[in-house]
Amino acid sequence: MKKNDIILIICILVVAGLVIAMTRFTNQTKNGDEAVAVVTIDGIEYARYPLDKDVTETIEISDNNYNVISIHDGQCEISDASCPDQICVYHNPIENNGQTIVCLPNRLVVTIENGSDNDIDGATY
Amino acid sequence: MNTKKVAYLGLFIALAFVLSYVEFLLPLSIGIPGAKIGLANLVVMVALYTIGNKNAFLLSLVRVILVGLTFGNLAMMIYSMAGAMLSFLVMIIAKRTKLFSITGVSVLGGVFHNVGQILVAMLVLDTASLIYYLPFLIVIGTISGIVIGVISGMITARVGRLFDIK
Amino acid sequence: MGNVMKRFRIISVVLVAVLIAFIFVVLHMNKNIGEDISSDMAYDKYTINFLDVFDTSTDITGFAASQNDFNKEANLIKEQLTYYNNLYDIYNDYDGLNNIKTINDNAGIQAVEVGPEIIDLLEFGKDMYDLTDGNVNIAMGSVLRIWHEYREYGIANPSNASLPELAELEAAKEHTDINKVIIDKEAMTVYLEDADMSLDVGSIAKGYAVQQVLEYCRNEGMNNILFSVGGNIAGLGGRVDGTNFKIAIQNPNLESADPYIERVEIEDGQCVVSSGDYQRYYEVDGKRYCHIINPDTLYPPETFAGVSILTDDSAKADALSTALFNMTLEEGQKFIESLDNVEAMWVYHDGTVAYSKHFKDYVID
Repeated sequence: MKKNDIILIICILVVAGLVIAMTRFTNQTKNGDEAVAVVTIDGIEYARYPLDKDVTETIEISDNNYNVISIHDGQCEISDASCPDQICVYHNPIENNGQTIVCLPNRLVVTIENGSDNDIDGATY
Repeated sequence: MNTKKVAYLGLFIALAFVLSYVEFLLPLSIGIPGAKIGLANLVVMVALYTIGNKNAFLLSLVRVILVGLTFGNLAMMIYSMAGAMLSFLVMIIAKRTKLFSITGVSVLGGVFHNVGQILVAMLVLDTASLIYYLPFLIVIGTISGIVIGVISGMITARVGRLFDIK
Repeated sequence: MGNVMKRFRIISVVLVAVLIAFIFVVLHMNKNIGEDISSDMAYDKYTINFLDVFDTSTDITGFAASQNDFNKEANLIKEQLTYYNNLYDIYNDYDGLNNIKTINDNAGIQAVEVGPEIIDLLEFGKDMYDLTDGNVNIAMGSVLRIWHEYREYGIANPSNASLPELAELEAAKEHTDINKVIIDKEAMTVYLEDADMSLDVGSIAKGYAVQQVLEYCRNEGMNNILFSVGGNIAGLGGRVDGTNFKIAIQNPNLESADPYIERVEIEDGQCVVSSGDYQRYYEVDGKRYCHIINPDTLYPPETFAGVSILTDDSAKADALSTALFNMTLEEGQKFIESLDNVEAMWVYHDGTVAYSKHFKDYVID
């Protein structure tokens, strides 16, 4: 073995070790993209709203049916809707990865992507 | 290509094939495409330092195809081919620079074998997150590279004189 | 010369030994690394949501190397759930398929030939009727149908919402005798003896289907999947890193600042199901009437805002959560104590919470 071999091996191991340490460290935020609220209607993506930009928008479903999505303080909620049961309107604002608001009558689903992780895999309702 | 060369090449290919089979027998299924000890690389290393670059390249190519056809599937063959070719390229360059001994060359070969495989796997599977395997594979490649390098160094030193065919 | 050869020989023996040791170490190490990094890195968590089955929202959560890999599994699961949805549907017909509606349509007319999935579900329903002392009754379709109509009308026309007359409900109750559901396992038929009766499997079908699909997935070799069908949650395996799935239980008070009332960990095969008055209900004169109907009073029970069950069979969990919702706390606690591996949590309207003996073992602090 030459001296260069030893240097090479040490360099490779150090770099690999550093990369492992770094990915470990930044694992939580490996999806470094910004958090978005993804709106689907009947399973088809309709729009994406970044959670860091306050906005209120009416989503027209069909014949006078609508949901009003409102983003503020990094959270997303349905502030008004045409559906009779209003369950989506009562729903708490969502901000964590994977959280959803569902409006069954209008077949609309809002899902958070790339949000902070609340360490929850599912919720009853 | 003279008869002696053909005979040696055949011998090496057979040896590489057997070592690939031995490695195949080891239950090394960990869900990481490309994580291998690379026993067959031992033969490639020895070939590289005894029967020349061209022949070693031929050996590497034939081995991948043979092993792929015999034990693997198309996807496996593609990964292995990518790994083998990239690693061979890097090894030749490293050997040319004369900066490293056979061990250093072998380490680089081991590392880039894994790098090549994972890059192609990422392309084929369309999964960027496989890159998180890479540092682990590099460590594995380095360790196996050292062991294979040292052993092939010894083999070359002892039997290299036989291959008087360059 | 001899000395040099000897040294070479020793070195080669040592090296071969090192190589062999190395192979074993790598094999062993890889196993751990493989599990370790597959969780953190190469395997991402994916969730799909769809609204196509059991008139509710379904989430399937899993871990895969790519979206494509995950979609393959998720589509299989969706296919299975759709299959059970169609079989257990009481409102819709499907071409060439005898389902629960077919049985209802032929009440008092003729026995209907059905598949084992329906026979098993109805037998399970009868078992649950016995187990819960009649608090879960799949033959209560006639009563539930009346409430369904009033509720749908009330939701659509809040100002004109009204309650069904007790007399109307009591008349319907005459046609809820579960013993008149005749299951012939030999001929694979189901017959409703009473022409005015009908099956409503809403209290067990979702949970039963989830349990069946979970077992299907286990047999197919899938793992690390979390099912959530309208809040019927069941876990196959845990997270891919080997830790348990963590489940949040919805706070029945939707206006509360904390959306979840409790967080629990479930082990492989365990499930959580909640029944509550906060999802499917309507209001009459400012008072809330939910979709669960007490078989004795024929009105929605008002004791609890929500009840959750944690156990190892989603079908049972579904039935038991309905049963507990219909009981008082004392009755419910006694009932749960009598069962193995079943834990429960009761939430009152004012937010106070009661637990069965070992429920808290699963709660995440």
